[in-house]
Amino acid sequence: MSAEDPVQQFEEGLAKVEASFPQALASCPDEHTLRAANARFVGPQGELTALLKWMPKLPGDRRKALGQRANAVKGSVERAFAARLQAIADAARAAELSGPALDVSLPGRGVRAGRLHPMTRVVNELIDVFTSLGFDVAEGPEVELYEYNFDKLAFPPDHPATDMQDSFFVETGEGVPPRAKTVLRTHTSNMQVREMLARRPPMAVIAPGQVYRRDDDVTHSPMFFQIEGFLIDEDVSFANLRGVLARFAERMFGEGTPVRLRPSYFPFVEPGAEVDIGCMICRGWRGDDDARARQAECRVCKTTGFVEVLGCGMIHPVVLEHAGIDPERYSGFAFGMGIDRIAMLRYGITDIRLLYENDTRFLEQL
Amino acid sequence: MRASTQWLRELVGVELTPAQMAERLTAGGVEVEALHPFGEELAEVVVAEVRAKAAHPRREKLTVVDVFDGASVHTVVCGAPNVPAVGGRVLLARVGAVLPGGLAIAERELAGVVSRGMLCSESELGIGAEEDGIVVLGPADDAPLGTRADEAFGLRDVALEISLTPNRPDCLGHIGLARELAALCGVPFALPADGESFALRALHAAHGTIAADGGDVTVTIASPERCPRYAATLVRGVQVGASPLRVRARLHSLGVRAISNVVDATNLALFEWGYPTHAFDLARVAGRHITVRLAVDGETMRTLDGVERTLTRDDLLICDGNGPVAIAGVMGGADTEIRAETRDVLLECAWFEPRGVRRTARRLGLHTDASHRFERGVDPDAVDAVARRVSALVRGLGGGDIGREGVDVHPLPRAEVRLQLRGDRLRAMLGDPEATLDAAALILGRLGCAVSTTPAPVLPGTVLDVVAPGWRPDLTREIDLIEEVARVRGYDRIPTIVPNVRPSVTGTPPRVRFGRRLREHAAAAGLYEAINFAFLAPADLAACAVSRAAVPLANPLSEERSVLRTSLVPGLLGDVRRAQRHQGERVALFELARVFAPQTDGPLPIERRELGVVLSGPRARWLGDVEALDFFDLKGVVASLVSSACGLAIDTVVDARLDASVEDGGAPFLHPRRRARVRVGERDAGVLGEVHPDVIDAVGLVGRPLVAVLDVEALYDAMVAAGLPRARPLPRFPHVTRDLALVVAESVVSADVAAALREAGQGLAEDVQVFDVYRGAGVPEGHKSLAFRVVYRDPSATLTDERVDRAHEQVSRVAREHFGGVLRA
Repeated sequence: MSAEDPVQQFEEGLAKVEASFPQALASCPDEHTLRAANARFVGPQGELTALLKWMPKLPGDRRKALGQRANAVKGSVERAFAARLQAIADAARAAELSGPALDVSLPGRGVRAGRLHPMTRVVNELIDVFTSLGFDVAEGPEVELYEYNFDKLAFPPDHPATDMQDSFFVETGEGVPPRAKTVLRTHTSNMQVREMLARRPPMAVIAPGQVYRRDDDVTHSPMFFQIEGFLIDEDVSFANLRGVLARFAERMFGEGTPVRLRPSYFPFVEPGAEVDIGCMICRGWRGDDDARARQAECRVCKTTGFVEVLGCGMIHPVVLEHAGIDPERYSGFAFGMGIDRIAMLRYGITDIRLLYENDTRFLEQL
Repeated sequence: MRASTQWLRELVGVELTPAQMAERLTAGGVEVEALHPFGEELAEVVVAEVRAKAAHPRREKLTVVDVFDGASVHTVVCGAPNVPAVGGRVLLARVGAVLPGGLAIAERELAGVVSRGMLCSESELGIGAEEDGIVVLGPADDAPLGTRADEAFGLRDVALEISLTPNRPDCLGHIGLARELAALCGVPFALPADGESFALRALHAAHGTIAADGGDVTVTIASPERCPRYAATLVRGVQVGASPLRVRARLHSLGVRAISNVVDATNLALFEWGYPTHAFDLARVAGRHITVRLAVDGETMRTLDGVERTLTRDDLLICDGNGPVAIAGVMGGADTEIRAETRDVLLECAWFEPRGVRRTARRLGLHTDASHRFERGVDPDAVDAVARRVSALVRGLGGGDIGREGVDVHPLPRAEVRLQLRGDRLRAMLGDPEATLDAAALILGRLGCAVSTTPAPVLPGTVLDVVAPGWRPDLTREIDLIEEVARVRGYDRIPTIVPNVRPSVTGTPPRVRFGRRLREHAAAAGLYEAINFAFLAPADLAACAVSRAAVPLANPLSEERSVLRTSLVPGLLGDVRRAQRHQGERVALFELARVFAPQTDGPLPIERRELGVVLSGPRARWLGDVEALDFFDLKGVVASLVSSACGLAIDTVVDARLDASVEDGGAPFLHPRRRARVRVGERDAGVLGEVHPDVIDAVGLVGRPLVAVLDVEALYDAMVAAGLPRARPLPRFPHVTRDLALVVAESVVSADVAAALREAGQGLAEDVQVFDVYRGAGVPEGHKSLAFRVVYRDPSATLTDERVDRAHEQVSRVAREHFGGVLRA
């Protein structure tokens, strides 16, 4: 500012700012240049800031009006700055949202998950079904006294019934009396004996675990899994056994799954039965056209609509007597099923050996 | 066992299709597994007579035969060697017939002669095993010319393949099956009348005689406990030969090979009554004397399969004057078997004690139709009827004369089995108020029980008196009767009632629940679950340097599976080996199962639950470098699963016991410089580390697999001892961190340094973590640089720089002085 008319100079300066700032700010492509441009006007060294500092030199009668004008310009600059800043941010957000997409097909980073064995998963499901019905879970030894595996379960000595379960005997050396013989348990039914000797009725127990028989082919493994279940109380009847089996079938395999009992023989139950349930693969029991068509081609149930899953019956009074339980006061039912078979049905496994080879390629599938 | 539906229909008199029979029987507990039809395609196969027979003009082995089928003469070219002479009768498949094998009979020229039909063999017709010659009908095969063969000889049949449970010996014969079927159909059953006039003389003594020309035949039972009853009859003047076609075809449909009319007769009796009998050639029974006695140890005999058998004093023998002629209830001897020249037949029908027969059959590895039935228990009361029946069958097929009597030596009469069935017990057991004693009486009666209502003082109509028939050895208690009533009524008539289960006080034992929890957390820690067989080879134990004190099996399937595992390590390393063989690179498995150790004090081995973990191959990395899994990956996995399953941290320590044997808590299967004991809550809970290179070589692995073995009970005990976690207030004042690096000898253990630093922190060092290990430039050989981050906090005030500096100075001094550490900038 020279000695020329300060008012004129002020007005010219103000006009210059007014004329230049909209373009100056609007042309800024990013936040950094915008802030720099803004500083040219309203920063500490800015043109408008300089004008405002000059205010006291203006004649008193004009000062107020000029001051108001200058502040109005300053307000305009600030609004334009804010607007531009917002526009730049909006553009940047829009660009990011429409820019190159992530290759989401690349693998995830971090811990690879493992998985429970299909057999364990079936066991867990069965445990959940039966514990929700009031059963407790028990575990017991896999090497068992012959007495607990057979005699106490009313297997007659030297009887063909023991052929149904060809046993592995433990080498005990010479001179061991037959009653002290030990076997790898051939069924989880030994847990009936052990639980009955350990506690008093009422008792409702399921016992999953490994069992062993001298068989080895595509459908038989020398080691496999069973789950035993039994209920002993006053007034337990065959009708109750049917009730529990009906609940089991529906909870495990779906509502409406039918259950069919056929008379059969196991030394430790009487009356005894084999249990077929409606095929969980074709579900032919639903009876509609689709279901019938599926059943007609079903290889799992061989078009019968039913698959055999377990054996059961009322606990033989002799078994109760052997455990010191009065069969006139208490009665009970027991059932046992092969878990391998259920796992195979469930997951479409055709070769039982896959269950025991622990091939990650197999375990990953299920 | 196979059953003929035609035969059953004759016995029951109920019109059921084979499929319906199968369904009824299966629903009643006699499981029919399959149906085999026979003789279905024989409509154009007829009886024909040879009218002319000449050699084929150009082919040496062929015969040109003119046969007459009652209406016309057919010229047939036949290749069989046994074309009968003119007048002989054969079976002709006429042009248009399609035989069971699918062979279609058409006019066909054979070297210039046109053949119009075919003369058939048994095997071509699917009615027998004979395939070397055509069927030549004998005098007993009486049928008019032109009659359809299937109708003339009853060749059409459907055999049921029955899978019988061992409690039902009565169903091992057609009479028993027919009785069962009748009961299941709700109709009465009556035995067919035999119409025979001869009798057996019953003697309640151990010795009996049949008077006969040429000398008496005597029977002596020296072991009445094992043979309480022995009947014998004679059929004299028998003509041994082939049985008629009807009989041969029936035996074929039952899966039995026709042998000779006498043997076929005993087989017919077997399948009719379910009762094995035996035929001896009387001429070869030395001294005409039969003695039933136990063998002496080492005694030998040759059975009719030609095998020399060595016997023990637990084996029951049928002997003649010279020695053994049969192993009782199991197999006859070769010397006395029926031959073509046999004239006089001695028939045996005896009751042998089932357990003894079973022991002998098992010891000799001989499972026969006879032993199968005796060991299940045949009907002791049927001896008389069966002896008469088999005699009549032998005479019927082979001719001859039975004479007036046989003998039934019966030193020990059978005690009657008397049972009671209470109506309220029946209903309570079944949970079925509609199961009445009236219905029960009807059912039990149809099954052959003698049923009456118990007289006073019992309330009338509340209890039944039941006498079980001899053919049902399985009926010994009230519950057996309840089962009969339930199954014949049908299980589907029993209601379905969900019981109110009374919950137990304790519920599932926590130890049992803990196993499931560990498994779930092991899977969550990145491991797949393995299940290995519990038996393995002793060599596997040695290769894996785990305990060799294993429980051996007496009758393993193979040496490979002959002892019980003492550790999960061999199984898991086997899994790694299998994976490496099929290029499976990364293996991360766990197994939770029982391991076994012999126990000297008690009969049962010690069983312990173990959790095994194996890692092998590359670490899971993201799109970058591939690095092998190492000790710290395994430690991380174990720490993670123990932390999530038990809520506890693990410590890994090196103690002197690691060098001990497995039995003493050592870990010789792990690398001696890269292994550690796992401590959880002040307890030893297992070991982990790199697999010992010698084990890697012995098992045949590549790379550096890692293994952890944890004691499940120790983990559980540690968790229980630690109790529930307690909540603490969160810190209200900020912390300050200071880093510190020091160069120490390689042997210095970082955890020791960290612990000392924390100790030195004057109560302000809240946490000390190692965050870097460096070797290389600036660090002398045999040394390493450890970098620690120390977190300082005063729980009750904001720390000043001055206090932190003072504490950190103290920490640094301790580091220097105690570990010879040089602080690095």
